[in-house]
Amino acid sequence: MNRPVYISVIIVTFLLGLMITFQFRTNSNTTGIVPTERYQALTIEKKNVETDIADLEEEVADLTAKIDESRKGRTEAAVVLEGELDKIMLYAGLTPLVGPGVEVLLEKSSESLGSAGFYNIRDEDLLKVINDLLGAGAEAVSINDQRIITTSEVRQAGNHININLTKLSPPYLIKAIGNPDTLKSSLEIKGGLAEYLAASGTAVNIRQSGNIQVPAYSGPLRFDYAKHV
Amino acid sequence: MKGLHWTIAIVGLALGVLLAMQFKLTTEINKTEPVQRTQLVANQVNGLKNDRELLQGEVNSLRSSLDEISAGPDDAELKEQLDRARILAGVTELRGPGVEVTLNDSNIALKPGENPNLYVLHDEDVLRVLNEIRAAGAEAISLNGERILASTEVRCIGPTIVLNKDKRLAPPFVITAIGDPNTLESSIKMKGGVAEILQFWGIQVGVKKMNQVTVPAYSGGLKFDYAKAAG
Repeated sequence: MNRPVYISVIIVTFLLGLMITFQFRTNSNTTGIVPTERYQALTIEKKNVETDIADLEEEVADLTAKIDESRKGRTEAAVVLEGELDKIMLYAGLTPLVGPGVEVLLEKSSESLGSAGFYNIRDEDLLKVINDLLGAGAEAVSINDQRIITTSEVRQAGNHININLTKLSPPYLIKAIGNPDTLKSSLEIKGGLAEYLAASGTAVNIRQSGNIQVPAYSGPLRFDYAKHV
Repeated sequence: MKGLHWTIAIVGLALGVLLAMQFKLTTEINKTEPVQRTQLVANQVNGLKNDRELLQGEVNSLRSSLDEISAGPDDAELKEQLDRARILAGVTELRGPGVEVTLNDSNIALKPGENPNLYVLHDEDVLRVLNEIRAAGAEAISLNGERILASTEVRCIGPTIVLNKDKRLAPPFVITAIGDPNTLESSIKMKGGVAEILQFWGIQVGVKKMNQVTVPAYSGGLKFDYAKAAG
C-alpha cells in the first residue's frame, strides 16, 4: 500500500526539480544580465553614433569659427549669417543638388497596359520606393522634379499622384543621390520592391549615374503653427 | 515510515544539487566570450551616446549665440529666412498646436492558425500615417521623440522600428505633429481613412488634439557624403 506512494512522491519531486531548474535557466537568460540587443546590431549602431559624433564635432568647429568671424565687424557678420543660411538650406531641401546616384523609372509594363486601373502605380508604391532609397542612405530624392522634403506628401488623386501639392502623372522618374551601388541593390534585393513591382505589373528600370541632378523644393514656405522654442 | 524519510531526503539532495549546478551554469553563461563582447560594445555605445548628447547641446547653444549676431539692416529678413529653413531642416526644437497619434499592436486574440503578421504594426503602416499627416499640412513631425527629416527612413526590425539610421523605437509609437489640430485629426479619422483600415486589423489608433506640442530637434550630425550644391 505504501510503496506506490513513495514512488509517485519521488517521480513528482524529481519532475518538479527539473521544471524549476529549466525555468531558472530560461529566466536568467532573458533578464538584464545578457543585453537583449545583439552584437551585430550594436556594432553597427556604434559605427553610426561615431559618425554622428564626427559630424557634430565638425558642426561645432564650423559654428565656433563663424561666431569668431562675426565679431570682427558688420560686413563679416552678414557674410557669416548668409553662410549659415546656405548650409541650413542645403539640408532643408531648398538647394538644388548634384552627385552620384540612381534614376528609377516606374511605368506600366506592356503586359499590364491593356488592363484596368488595378495595375496603376499607386501612392503607396512610391512611398515604399522613397523609403527604401532613404534607408539605403539617399541624401536627396525627387520624383518627376518634385523634391522630397520633410513635409512632402505622396497622395493618390485618381490616376495621378500629388506630391508637394503638385499633380504628377506616370511614368514616374525617381532620382536619388547617394552611393549608386547601395541604392540600386536596396531595390533589387531578392524579395524586394523591384521584384514586387514587376510582379504587380510595373516595369522598373534602374540606371546608375555619376551625375544625378535633384532640384530644390520650390513650393510655398509658410509655417503658421510651428514656432521656435 | 522510515523509508519515506530517506526517499524524501535523497530527492531533496538531488534537487539541491541540480539547482546548484544550474545556477553555476547560468552565471557562467555571462562570462562566455560572445556575451562579454556584447556587453562591452553595449557599454561603449552608451558612452558614445552620452558624448553625442553633449555635443548636440553644444551645437544648439552655438546656434542660439549665432542668432544674436547683428549684421545691420538686412538682419530681420535674413533671420526670418534662416528660421524657416531651420524648421524644414529639423535642426531646432519647435512648439505649436497639433496632434498626438498613438499606434499600438493589435489587441485581438489570435485564433490558432491565423497569421500573427497581419496583426502587428509594420513600417508601411507608420509610413502611411506619416503621409496622411503630411498631406494634412503638418509642419513638423516626430516619432517617439525622433524628429522626422526629409531623409528619414522607417524600417521594421523585429518588433521595433528603426529610423534616422540608428534610432531604435519600440511600440507604442507616438507621432507628434504640429499643424492645424482639426485638419490633422480628421485626416487620420476620416471615413475610409488610415485609422479605419488599421483598426480592421485590430491595430490600436488613438488621436488626441493638443493645444501645444513640442517637436524636438534632430539629434545627430548632418552631412552629405555624395550630394553637392549644384551650380
